[in-house]
Amino acid sequence: MSEKDDIETPVIAEATPTLENGNSEPAKNSECVDQSAKPENKPEPVVSTRKRPESKPSSDLESSEVPPVQETVSKDEPQTGWGYWGSWGKSLLSSASATVATVGQGISNVIEKAETSLGIPSPSEISTEVQYATGETNAKENEKSSPMTGPFGVFSTISTAVHSTGKSVISGGLDALEFIGKKTMDVIAEGDPGFKRTKGLMNRNSTLSQVLREAKEKEEQWTSSEVTMERDKKNHYGLLFDEFQGLSHLEALEMLSRESEIKVKSILNSLSGEELETLKLELEQLKEAFSLAEFCEEEEEEAKGDEDFTKEITELFSQLHVSSKPGKLARARNTAHEWIRTALAKPLEEKEEGENRLEGEKTEQINKNSIEDIHAFAIRSLAELTACSIELFHKTAALVLHGEKQEVTAIERSRTLSQVTIVLCKELSSLSKEFTTCLTTAGVKEKADILNPLITAVFLEASNSASYIQDAFQLLFPVLEISLIESKSEPHELQQAWRPLSEH
Amino acid sequence: MTYAYLFKYIIIGDTGVGKSCLLLQFTDKRFQPVHDLTIGVEFGARMVNIDGKQIKLQIWDTAGQESFRSITRSYYRGAAGALLVYDITRRETFNHLTSWLEDARQHSSSNMVIMLIGNKSDLESRRDVKREEGEAFAREHGLIFMETSAKTACNVEEAFINTAKEIYRKIQQGLFDVHNEANGIKIGPQQCISSSVGPSTSQRNSGDVESNSGCC
Repeated sequence: MSEKDDIETPVIAEATPTLENGNSEPAKNSECVDQSAKPENKPEPVVSTRKRPESKPSSDLESSEVPPVQETVSKDEPQTGWGYWGSWGKSLLSSASATVATVGQGISNVIEKAETSLGIPSPSEISTEVQYATGETNAKENEKSSPMTGPFGVFSTISTAVHSTGKSVISGGLDALEFIGKKTMDVIAEGDPGFKRTKGLMNRNSTLSQVLREAKEKEEQWTSSEVTMERDKKNHYGLLFDEFQGLSHLEALEMLSRESEIKVKSILNSLSGEELETLKLELEQLKEAFSLAEFCEEEEEEAKGDEDFTKEITELFSQLHVSSKPGKLARARNTAHEWIRTALAKPLEEKEEGENRLEGEKTEQINKNSIEDIHAFAIRSLAELTACSIELFHKTAALVLHGEKQEVTAIERSRTLSQVTIVLCKELSSLSKEFTTCLTTAGVKEKADILNPLITAVFLEASNSASYIQDAFQLLFPVLEISLIESKSEPHELQQAWRPLSEH
Repeated sequence: MTYAYLFKYIIIGDTGVGKSCLLLQFTDKRFQPVHDLTIGVEFGARMVNIDGKQIKLQIWDTAGQESFRSITRSYYRGAAGALLVYDITRRETFNHLTSWLEDARQHSSSNMVIMLIGNKSDLESRRDVKREEGEAFAREHGLIFMETSAKTACNVEEAFINTAKEIYRKIQQGLFDVHNEANGIKIGPQQCISSSVGPSTSQRNSGDVESNSGCC
């Protein structure tokens, strides 16, 4: 995989922005310290729930051996669903930045833990151990604040989910894992309607791209020291995400977001009285559009065709009235689906042959190769789709700031963008399910300790992808705040503010 | 794959001077005469070899359109090198250099190495800015200067690599604090730098190139 293959030709601009009165730079008050001027009121719960890895540099994996004091999670608090989600990603990433563990190793640790803590039996064990396994799951549920489930909060949610469906899940064997995958995706859905926790992301010293970059660097370091480097590299989400320029776009989006945030603060500081109150109220409304509250509602439609995703996402982008187009994303997504279709068709044929041969070793060999391929392709696809999504958000931010004529309000745009986020996350969820179906089909004769980690890894990276996308979506908030503020200003003023900085 | 350092570059200059073409030529070794306008910023990356060290260049190719100017400024931060490009067949792009330079100096580290590039050197018959003028401007403002052609690839490698060399020299002189990421330099994942340049890493590791060699 050479660098050059991933350089994209910069050919995204379908439309030529013609407007000359771009953004104003209303920097009347240069300094602003006033926190109360900010639209959101309570950043505190954010910090405590979704810690960045940096805030806790020591290995989370290690700390998972110790009973956590504050991080006790309980299924009785559904509103912290997002928190679970976040801490999952957090644990993964922080294990990456710990001295010994890399992301790759972190994942396998997580996987082991996931398996032990979930008490998922291997298919071969199912027949003999149904009774036992059921008991174990019950036990898990009781010790939900145990060391194991503490830091990996999401697993306690999962084990609850496993338990609630009882025996049918256990006897389902691998279906259980698939179900869990679905359930973990639902955790997003149920999580944090106010979305305040994620919002807090931007207030911290370190940024998401830094976190991801660090994780990637650890991966680089690790893979470079391995003999089987190329092969491993294929499976490293962080490296692939960077190759698809996901990190760069994220970093660029963060820059735009940060700058917008500073501008918003200084504008709010320059206002007072009724003017300030009106604006605050409007920004509050805008913030609601960033809450992703509708997430839970859309669960029903399961089997959607390729055209539907492409159509849906294209339509949403046309509603945005910016010139960024999701063509690249749609192509990446359709390629993944096409691949899955082919992959699903293949193992079935092999299986038929294999049955005739009475489980010949040859068949096993074929299947073994193919589950690794499926896993590698799944991770690659998730990284690519996530990178494309973040690129789209970045381009959208640039175009919104560019101040193309606003045919739609900032609130309308925000609502559309939250729809986009939902569609993307749902797509990642369904894609990961399809990939794991592939894995289970192809690896039907595999031992659980070979197959299960791969399945878990796919779900894990899908869940991480979804949180990166949602974090990126939140980065758009200050950008749309600026857009809202500017739409209220006189065009004349905008020109004034713009001029001195752009004149030659 | 691994590298000793990572340098962030920005490419700036008026619209249509060939910024995206320079990047494409450098990363992909190809020329695409018709380019869509860049929205905000696009990215490219490539490994180069300076003084036996692998250096990864992470290049931010910014939009040149005037209306994007306030946005692209946001991207300047943390760049170690800048390619400031004008078109030798369009004098106005040369005239705007001062304003670009001010922008660059204002929004990035004072140590940033700036390479002035007069692009489209293949269009000698339509030349509107003399080579000497470019040289004089560069001298006056403390920039490195080269004329390039993204079309023929003339001096393109050299432009990117000489900038990297200059940054590297500054690092060795202790002018850059490599631990401060605001300088646009990052130390690569440590160790095993030389061991892992396996057959799989198909980056073209261009050897050192003499400064004023080439066709222009």
